Amino acid sequence: MNRILTLFLIGLIGLGCSKEPAITDDMLDSGKLFDPSLYKPEQYLISKAVPNPTPAQASRPVIIACHGYSATTFEWDEFRAYLGNRTDVYLSQVLLGGHGRSYADFKQSTWHDWQTAITTEYEALLKAGYQNISLLTSSTSGPLSLELVSSGYFASRTAPRNLLLVDPIIVPSSKSLSLIGVVGPMLGYIEADQPATEDKVYYHFRPQETLQQLETLLTTVRKELEKGVTLPTGTALMVYKSKQDPVADPVSAVLIYNGIKTATGQPTDVQLIDSKLHVYTRLNLRTDLTTTDRQNQTATFADIVNRVLR
Amino acid sequence: MRSSIHTLFCRGSQYRSLVLTATVLSWFTTLSAQNRPTGAVLDVGVRAQKSIGLYTETGITAQFTHAKLVHQRLYVGLSYVTSRLGTALNSNAVKQDNYLASVTYLFRPNWLIRPLVRFNAGYFRADYGSELFRDLPQTSLLASPELGLCVCPRFPLKLNASVGYNLLTGDGVTGPGTLYPVFVQTSLTWNLLHHAVTR
Repeated sequence: MNRILTLFLIGLIGLGCSKEPAITDDMLDSGKLFDPSLYKPEQYLISKAVPNPTPAQASRPVIIACHGYSATTFEWDEFRAYLGNRTDVYLSQVLLGGHGRSYADFKQSTWHDWQTAITTEYEALLKAGYQNISLLTSSTSGPLSLELVSSGYFASRTAPRNLLLVDPIIVPSSKSLSLIGVVGPMLGYIEADQPATEDKVYYHFRPQETLQQLETLLTTVRKELEKGVTLPTGTALMVYKSKQDPVADPVSAVLIYNGIKTATGQPTDVQLIDSKLHVYTRLNLRTDLTTTDRQNQTATFADIVNRVLR
Repeated sequence: MRSSIHTLFCRGSQYRSLVLTATVLSWFTTLSAQNRPTGAVLDVGVRAQKSIGLYTETGITAQFTHAKLVHQRLYVGLSYVTSRLGTALNSNAVKQDNYLASVTYLFRPNWLIRPLVRFNAGYFRADYGSELFRDLPQTSLLASPELGLCVCPRFPLKLNASVGYNLLTGDGVTGPGTLYPVFVQTSLTWNLLHHAVTR
């Protein structure tokens, strides 16, 4: 009797594991909506838009803007709008690997795949002759860029002038992520609590496999920070962090500040933002915004441009 | 056969280790009825705990019981564990301190290995190391149940291991961010009063 009960329970768990999310055609997960950068990369990537720059163009600062976990290039569209027709700085919006495509593509991707999109654009810009490159990241692309530093990726290349991290995640606000290795296979996926309008630009369902990848990435970078990371010569780091953040715990800024020094041994820059939003620089599709939220966004965009043009 | 003897000879040290281990284990497992001290017990020792997904912390622990405390099944204790003696030792990890008061109940008092339940309450403090972060939550109350086992042999050494769950954690809005929910702990203690009164 006990054996039958055990088999029954194993069967139930097995059924639970095979459960697929109820994806609708209105969701990015469906494989019927794609990030626009896949159709028109030249509108998003400077390496495609200006592949053969003149010396003047090649000396112009390029900001590679990278989005967070489950997001798309949409996350930095407002920064593009802010820059408008400025000609003194370029913006390259990268779509992370596995993102902006379909649930199946996302499920199969690893954090290395996510990161590869950043290095591909970075190397393409260097190859084209651009020398003044900065990385602007939000959320998960923060640890992706820090991993590039700690792994020595920039040791054999021209290093970025700036690492500008908006709400980087090292410690998740939801501490249950630390248990994803155990509970993940039982859950299969996690559903995001987001409005339907965001379903077109953020994955609605997060496969547990990708959450495990996220946990692996965060653990890897946290341990590197504990050991101590030194920025490449000539690279500056700035962290903009919401004081209250339901996704990336604000203590992430503490770990980065304590864990990274400049090449000359100086501490890095941190600014705590009076905000309750995760990636407070993205306001589109949000409701109940305050004047402070808009001021925070504008002030940060202005600071980013100032730092890049220094 | 010759080959087997040769193999046995060559692996003699392994067999000796196996036999020794088996002897020790059987000695422990056959001690079903323990002679327990009848007076007070003051166990003092070290406690190491690991938050799942974050830091290892180490510190000291003490627990006390008496025949009048549910026939020595109930222990009251105090512990202090810190990442300063764990992950934060010679690293950039956050330095944090846990001050705990606990109540432990041991089941099966005559068994060598006794199931235990414990409830901790206390205070947590993190040191972020810079005034830049003064606006972030750095302290919290602690409340955590634990479930585990105590190896309580005849001599006054105790080893206990348990899994605990912090009911209060950081969530990005309230609470320190390095206060994680699930932890495992091990403590090794010695009864300082074992000479005082034993049966």
